Amino acid sequence: MPSELEKAMESLIMVFHRYASKDSKNGTLSRRELRDLMENELSGFLKSQKDPAAVDKIMKDLDTNGDGQVDFEEFVSLVVGLSIACEQCYKMQLSTGGKKH
Amino acid sequence: MPSQLEGAMDAMIKVFYNYSGNDGDKYKLNKGELKELLTSELTDFLTSQKDPLLVEKIMNDLDSNKDNEVDFNEFVVLVAALTVACNDFFQEQQKLKDK
Repeated sequence: MPSELEKAMESLIMVFHRYASKDSKNGTLSRRELRDLMENELSGFLKSQKDPAAVDKIMKDLDTNGDGQVDFEEFVSLVVGLSIACEQCYKMQLSTGGKKH
Repeated sequence: MPSQLEGAMDAMIKVFYNYSGNDGDKYKLNKGELKELLTSELTDFLTSQKDPLLVEKIMNDLDSNKDNEVDFNEFVVLVAALTVACNDFFQEQQKLKDK
């Protein structure tokens, strides 16, 4: 029986491959596949960005080896950054006692 | 309704806080809390390693600011590295299947 953490790690892999295998290059996300992934999986995050060019900027940031594709390691760095940002919000909510409005 | 990816990120945060809140600093894992987290959440990973000092070594590697505590930023790096390793393994398996 996998633990919560193992299931989370498995989800990251499954989500990545669901979008990365849409075109013929199966192990990497093209710009279109990345946009698809972000619009479906990170719609809340994208909405908060307000910059229509956000996906292009993110693609450029993630594609550290400049090959026009985002591999799993590059993708995971995005997930790490977003998780850290979410954790900051979570911590703030905890310390304000989670007051209901 | 969170997406699968949002659910996964949420789970990482919740797992961290399940163990970090046990004693001392609620927002960080001390050595004991880290050991509990690793043994309960990553049993397969630990048993495949066979090194009894592994938890010590992981603690030393993760604790980049040397305050004897692992905060979420430091923890998430471990999760990222393990996930990349799992994915490499998964992709190897796929290649073998496609042959």
